[in-house]
Amino acid sequence: MTKVYVGMSGGVDSSVTAALLVEQGYDVTGVFMKNWAQDIPGFKCPWREDLADAKRVAVQLGIPFKIYDFQKEYKQKVVDYLIEGYESGITPNPDIMCNQEVKFKLFLDTAIEDGADMIATGHYARVLRSRYEDGSDKFQLLQAVDQNKDQTYFLYRITEEALSKTLFPLGEMTKPEVRKKAKELGLITAEKKDSVGICFVGEVGIKEFLQNFIETKPGKIIEKESGNIIGTHEGAIFYTIGQRRGLNVGGGMPYYVVGKDMSKNEVYVTTDLGDKDLWQKTFSISNLHWINKVSYDLKLNSDVEVRIRHGASLIACKINMKNSDVAEVVLEDEIRALTPGQSAVFYAGDICIGGGVML
Amino acid sequence: MKYSIYLDYAAATPVDIIAKKAMEPYLTDVFYNPSAIYQPARDVRKAVECARATIASVLGSKDQEIIFTAGGTEANNLAVHGIMRRFPQGNIVVSGIEHESVLIPAKNYDCKIAKVKQNGIIDLNNLKELIDDNTVLVSVMYANNEVGTIQPIKEIASFIAEQRIMRAQKAANSNPLPIYLHTDACQASNYLDLHVSRLCVDLMTVNGGKIYAPKQSGALYINKSVELLPLIEGGGQELNLRSGTENVASIIAFATMLQKVQNERKVESQRIKSLSNTLFARLSQNIPAIIMNGDVKRRLPNNINFCIPNTDGELLTMQLDHAGLMVATGSACTASNDEPSHVLVAMGLDTDRASSSLRITLGRQTTEDDVHAAAEILTEVLSKYQD
Repeated sequence: MTKVYVGMSGGVDSSVTAALLVEQGYDVTGVFMKNWAQDIPGFKCPWREDLADAKRVAVQLGIPFKIYDFQKEYKQKVVDYLIEGYESGITPNPDIMCNQEVKFKLFLDTAIEDGADMIATGHYARVLRSRYEDGSDKFQLLQAVDQNKDQTYFLYRITEEALSKTLFPLGEMTKPEVRKKAKELGLITAEKKDSVGICFVGEVGIKEFLQNFIETKPGKIIEKESGNIIGTHEGAIFYTIGQRRGLNVGGGMPYYVVGKDMSKNEVYVTTDLGDKDLWQKTFSISNLHWINKVSYDLKLNSDVEVRIRHGASLIACKINMKNSDVAEVVLEDEIRALTPGQSAVFYAGDICIGGGVML
Repeated sequence: MKYSIYLDYAAATPVDIIAKKAMEPYLTDVFYNPSAIYQPARDVRKAVECARATIASVLGSKDQEIIFTAGGTEANNLAVHGIMRRFPQGNIVVSGIEHESVLIPAKNYDCKIAKVKQNGIIDLNNLKELIDDNTVLVSVMYANNEVGTIQPIKEIASFIAEQRIMRAQKAANSNPLPIYLHTDACQASNYLDLHVSRLCVDLMTVNGGKIYAPKQSGALYINKSVELLPLIEGGGQELNLRSGTENVASIIAFATMLQKVQNERKVESQRIKSLSNTLFARLSQNIPAIIMNGDVKRRLPNNINFCIPNTDGELLTMQLDHAGLMVATGSACTASNDEPSHVLVAMGLDTDRASSSLRITLGRQTTEDDVHAAAEILTEVLSKYQD
């Protein structure tokens, strides 16, 4: 019997994942990854309750349960990356980093070491198994059937090797189907609310979280066209290009962030939604990652689409490789507010082929 | 609904049918405020004072030395804060295995924590070393809520009596600080002698929720010589020490049950001891790795606390619940953090052993069949999940 270690977070998705695998006859072990969590006064970190829920579901399913303590590694690979990213003025994506470094590297390796044949998670994504021309196995990352829930944006930095040992049982289901299944099975997490925000931050906002680590100073908000100071902000790191809310600039037309200068701690804004800095047709990416062995020149330029944030629609584009680690992306249409630090993820039809970090 | 065996009587007890009957009229027909002037209210007042007299006679105290509180936590808080606020220049000495409702209030003051030996019994020598001329309150529980170990209250009391005399002699003409002994008897009430003059304590907490009366009922015995300040101020009820309209129905039930459990304690202790001996013998036989936590002899008859190395206590508790057995673990009683029980840690258990510990507590409804079934379930669950 195939031994599968399922990452169980205490949420409904990973609960149903484990239940489905038990139904399908796998030898299932539940694993809770204890990741780094910061206690911030006034906010109770939810992990303790989540761990208890994960255990309860494992007990309901009658499967063994383990806890992997990844606090140290998670702090180094994910939390420090997040803090450093914000410090340098970009908007990093900790979920992508967590998948790359923790779930599909550390968790996978530890599980295999402990005797697992495969791992599984509650991600909404699919794995397509086929063969390369040379006859070797090919594993591709496919978008989930549920277009609203597809999480391949967060998974594009997975390796083919990891994919070959991963099951995504929810990839063929919609979220309402998952909830229904959880109810049918009487899983205690059936009605549990989905988590929102950054997992290790819990209910506290990213701003409150960062203030514990980064010293920020108030600075000027400057209207780009006139150069007038029209307000103050609490620290340029908190602002993202295209952002409209949270500027606390009163009255009149809404302002949008069009740029910032980290060294001067200044944020530039405009009321002109047509401002050229808000719109881009061409942008650069680095830190490229391709899931499968592909010939970039030949295949990437035909029928490729890009997604620039989780849940965003796909836009037709061309990829011009500058070198093996930098590429220029040319979009078919202009789009608003690309966010440096977030990723551009490429798709050929349903297949997620890889991507890079926007500069 | 599956048949479930409840073995967590240290956490909560079902309200006894006698207590329920005794309290019921005071919820509906005889609902009057005992402080009101009309006759029916005066009858309610009489019932409250009658309950107080019942408790006083059980504890061997004067009626006016019984202050009703909403449960054990409030009584412990009143003892600690009440005395330490009255004597802010003094310090407090507590044991490391006190309940949080003593430990946490105590840490607001100049607080010294006495060591506990590996068997879960206070290190008397260490306690004596910590008590100095400025110690105004020593609080050591009668029996521990997690491991059931019985603390040497009489020995502590006699040491404190010596201190009192020495202080009076030393101070000569000036006024020395008083020194009081408080004991939290929440878990002891079902099985141990609560007579305050035999124990020689100045304050004692008793809790209805652990003796088959409603939760949030209880009392603090306060010897008439003790000076302390109230925590809850208002209408001046309970001799100005605990304002608020008396929780009449609960007080009636509490007094009824304290009398009942104390009357029956010897017989019930024997019955329970024999059941817990049977259970532990069965477990030791079936699960060789089992290690008992806490002194085997000096413990409450209804308490079994043990560790099974390399198990996750919380997970095991859930697995047992699923299989029809309700017990407690030494790790998750403080559900808000992942620290293992401070009691087991104070006894010198390492984190791993502390978080692989289970607490089984028997009670009045526990039968011979229950303990056999419980042993069965524990053995089965452990063999199912052990690698």
